[in-house]
Amino acid sequence: MPASTAPEPGEVSDSDLVKRCQAGDTRAFDVLVSRYRGKVYAMTYHMIQNETEAWDLSQEAFIKAWRAMPNFKLDSAFYTWLYRITHNVTYDWLRKKKMHGDGEFDDSRTEHRVAAGAEAVPRNEPAPDIALKNAELGKRINDAIAKLSPEHKQVILLREVEGLAYEEIAQTIPCSLGTVMSRLFYARKKLQEMLKDAYENAL
Amino acid sequence: MNWLLIFAIMTGALTLANAQQPIPVVKPATDGKVWGALVYATNNAKGFVGSNEQAPADFADIPQRLEKVFPYQRFEILGQHLQDVFREYESWVVPTKDLFLKVDSKGPAEGGGMNLHLQFWRDQQVLVKTDAVLKAGSPLFIGGPKWREGQLVFVLVLQK
Amino acid sequence: MKTPSEDHDLIRWLDGEMTDAERARFSTRLAADPDLKAEVEMMQRMSSDLRAHLPAEMTVPYGDFFNSQIQVRLAQEEPLIPEARASWLDWLRLPTLITATAAVAIAGFMIMQKGPAAGDSVVLSIYVPNASVHARTFHSDEAQATVLMLDGVEAIPADRKIVGYYIERTETDQEVAMTTLYGKSGEVVLVVSKDVRNQPRLLSATPRG
Repeated sequence: MPASTAPEPGEVSDSDLVKRCQAGDTRAFDVLVSRYRGKVYAMTYHMIQNETEAWDLSQEAFIKAWRAMPNFKLDSAFYTWLYRITHNVTYDWLRKKKMHGDGEFDDSRTEHRVAAGAEAVPRNEPAPDIALKNAELGKRINDAIAKLSPEHKQVILLREVEGLAYEEIAQTIPCSLGTVMSRLFYARKKLQEMLKDAYENAL
Repeated sequence: MNWLLIFAIMTGALTLANAQQPIPVVKPATDGKVWGALVYATNNAKGFVGSNEQAPADFADIPQRLEKVFPYQRFEILGQHLQDVFREYESWVVPTKDLFLKVDSKGPAEGGGMNLHLQFWRDQQVLVKTDAVLKAGSPLFIGGPKWREGQLVFVLVLQK
Repeated sequence: MKTPSEDHDLIRWLDGEMTDAERARFSTRLAADPDLKAEVEMMQRMSSDLRAHLPAEMTVPYGDFFNSQIQVRLAQEEPLIPEARASWLDWLRLPTLITATAAVAIAGFMIMQKGPAAGDSVVLSIYVPNASVHARTFHSDEAQATVLMLDGVEAIPADRKIVGYYIERTETDQEVAMTTLYGKSGEVVLVVSKDVRNQPRLLSATPRG
């Protein structure tokens, strides 16, 4: 479960605000937006790595959440539910982008190669003499994440950034537990491959 | 000091000095017209500053409306300003130098009226920024700072 | 070469998804297999770097505008329940909401007393930079007006003379970002420009008598 579902002591609970939203109260929704916009934005930003698009997609996620509010039965935490909506909005956007010919993150070929044995991939870049600085590593990580397929990006972010358990990831996507594990493994393998020289040279 | 500011001030000073020769400008596109006024609300008419300003006929009932909201019986219009709301440029509504409004059009609102971004300024300090939908005939009252025995209220109305 | 299930073991161990018994078995394997140990260590390090470089929460650029845009869009949406409108009294039953809203709105808070009718002006969002100023908005049916009340604004000194204008016409010069305001008789009353910090500068001609 995302750690952020509980509001600070003294604040109105998410479920109270949700009930007010379901009664048509847009001001209650404004409180929820303020409470979760930073998380929603971070999630979309990590997925698409573009500030403007992430901003717009975060807006879209909240609007979709508002529209879906009457159907939300409070059977899960509000944030988990909002998270699924955000995730779907972002994932759809990525899929559409992929369908429109941008193959930037089509890593299916890489997946095959990694599965066959990542250790065999030769390094072309000469090893730098010094360890990568923190900021450089950050950039490398972002670049590597950007190159993952939407499916792999998704599981990595849900696990590493949001700290979701496998079961929760499976519910969010949704998919089987086996698929979660399989995707997580291959996503990590690909990242490992892309970041390998950074780590080896930094060691 | 920025050269543009110096230029603006100098040009402003020249404009003031040559009131009969206003700078030639092309009137930009507008989205509507607003009337803004700064009103002194008080219970003691003796404290009036004696501006003798009258609201335009369309807004003659503003004092009666103000009385329903603010705990005062007497209302004196200190200054007023009829302003075009420019489509692509900021507009200023300045009934006084002390309290004034910056208005940016965000286009016509669904079902009539205008979407506006407003900034309420007191000298060099912005007191509040707000997005609002202004509908003709439905004034916006901004309850401002206390002054003397009463309170200053900014009134903004979209013209029909 | 590892079997797929062993691959899953690796990440399940990494992600804390193993039972105690499974964990114990995997630890024994780790101790006996230096390659596996090296891979696990690298994966662990990568996970930790991912978490460090990908924050779960980020500051939304133009946060107050973000909220107000959503409110604008909600205002254009079909109501979830057409008759649903939270009443002022309902709202008062949630006193802690004030705390919540104040906390998220950087400074200031907003309370709307009731929803607007179609012909009413409406305040969609409020941002108050000064933390000691509180803003609230409501619609007064009696006055047929929308009110934005600012509480806590520092009073204007009583000895300050407030000079009012009567502005009838405006000309704006975009080249120098300057607006000239004209009075009843076509006289220049005021020139509005902005300084380097984008704050307004008002130059008046002569105070109106």
